[in-house]
Amino acid sequence: MKSMINIMMRDFKGLFFTPMFYFIASLCAFLLSYSYVRNLIDFAYSSGVPSAGIKYSLHQIVVVSHISITNIILIFAVPAITMKLISEEKKSRTYDLLLTSPVTSTQIVAGKFFGGLCASLFIVFISFLYPLGSLLFADIDLGLLLSSYIGISLVCAAYVAIGLFCSSLSSSIIASVIMGVVFNLALWFLSQGTVYSESDLLVSIMDHMSIGDHLFSFVKGALKFSSIVYFISACCLFVFLSGRVIESSRWR
Amino acid sequence: MISVKQLTKNYGDRCAINNLNFTIKKGEVVGFLGPNGAGKTTTMKIITGFMAASSGQVCIDGDDVYEHPLRVKSKIGYLPETPPVYTDMYVNDYLSFVAKLKKVSHNLINENIEYALLQTQLQDVKRRLIKNLSKGYKQRVGIAGALVSKPPILILDEPTVGLDPKQVAEIRKLIIRLRGKHTILLSTHVLSEVQAICERVIIITKGEIIAEDSLEDISRKSSTTTQFEVNVLRKENVLRQTLSSMQGVLGVEHSGHKFYIQVDPEKLSTENLTKAIVDSGAGLTQFKPTMNSLEKIFIELTSSEKDLQ
Repeated sequence: MKSMINIMMRDFKGLFFTPMFYFIASLCAFLLSYSYVRNLIDFAYSSGVPSAGIKYSLHQIVVVSHISITNIILIFAVPAITMKLISEEKKSRTYDLLLTSPVTSTQIVAGKFFGGLCASLFIVFISFLYPLGSLLFADIDLGLLLSSYIGISLVCAAYVAIGLFCSSLSSSIIASVIMGVVFNLALWFLSQGTVYSESDLLVSIMDHMSIGDHLFSFVKGALKFSSIVYFISACCLFVFLSGRVIESSRWR
Repeated sequence: MISVKQLTKNYGDRCAINNLNFTIKKGEVVGFLGPNGAGKTTTMKIITGFMAASSGQVCIDGDDVYEHPLRVKSKIGYLPETPPVYTDMYVNDYLSFVAKLKKVSHNLINENIEYALLQTQLQDVKRRLIKNLSKGYKQRVGIAGALVSKPPILILDEPTVGLDPKQVAEIRKLIIRLRGKHTILLSTHVLSEVQAICERVIIITKGEIIAEDSLEDISRKSSTTTQFEVNVLRKENVLRQTLSSMQGVLGVEHSGHKFYIQVDPEKLSTENLTKAIVDSGAGLTQFKPTMNSLEKIFIELTSSEKDLQ
């Protein structure tokens, strides 16, 4: 446990206190600011237009699209943050230090996962500041907002695990970013393929594997047990796989 | 302390090391000598538990490296060819990270860091970022990292490669200071280093041990020729004839005032040779052994018949 925390703290500092992270975070903040203001303006327009008796809430218009923008940003930003986790170690040969230290590969990957998660959750935190600011002067359903952010945090954790795994596969950080983004996009778009599928079984399997559907249930305010299990098991799977990749260098 | 039995490692079809057997006793400083690609790094990586052998066994203090990796790794301080330093950290933070990684107990961490800094003389730079340090300092930070857990065994993979002569001398002094406190296995292809530091040497080439002994014993066992470079002022032809007729002189070559003389040290001592040159009245100005004997042994041992031809 101590070793894990030690590795986690080092990786968190190594990821967080770099100009690269500031750059990514400010880019995310810029994109979120742009889209959030646009959403607010959209809401202001739509609330003036009577639409067949249905009244949309601030959550439905602003927060939902804010969450989906955050998700799209995370698809790209998280691999850019986590790319360094193992690739950089391999490149700078500090990998040798980790593998010749009295720590297990599970402790190494768990430490790296939580270190990467803490850094990546900072982007989610930035995104959370916008609806939090709106709370001062608007009426947003706090419960729905929190469940949405629990959902997006879990999505973030899954992306970090995927990013960690991609990072473990290569000593090139560019390759690990590209792999990470492709993986994340694939999971996001998985449910789109179901439109053309005729098999009900296949549709339900792909729906269950798609991140989008699970996130949507959180946004609607449903903390579904199956969704929580889905995200945790995705994290465990990819962290486990990264551990195997690290372990493999011992018997290759 | 370290015992290696029938160690073999194959990378696919290529055999990196083949059936290595050696033991290193507590407190010894052993040089692991061989040309590039001989399998030195591979052997060291297996001893440190970085990777597994194809077959064979490595035991540290009686513990098998593969069976009890955690116990073994906490006893070893390892410096790979490239120092494993995080360039974005401060020297102090780095050492503290490594100490925690090596499971140094909490109240000993500061004391151990001080010890490592003192041994490697890094106190002046302990608050600097590693990326801003020169290569020699980075190397020393790497050594400090290997020392910070005060491990009984130190494994150093080419610790002086790529450094300037002053830094090389400093690192050698450092290793000499550590002698007696740690069991040290050191790989190198620089012979003078082995002569300066090590008590015992293991010579390895193409994955096999070809000699394993103390330096004196290796020199004694191999009866080789010694070569001298001699500068004289005059009478080159007379000197040439005198030398050629002497017993024990295997060859004389000369260009102008410069002579290269090959001698069998068993039959002709250096003392008699110099006496003969001085007596010839050629006016000796310089006399030096061109190739030191260990270097010769090394080349002879590590080259196959074909290479020599």
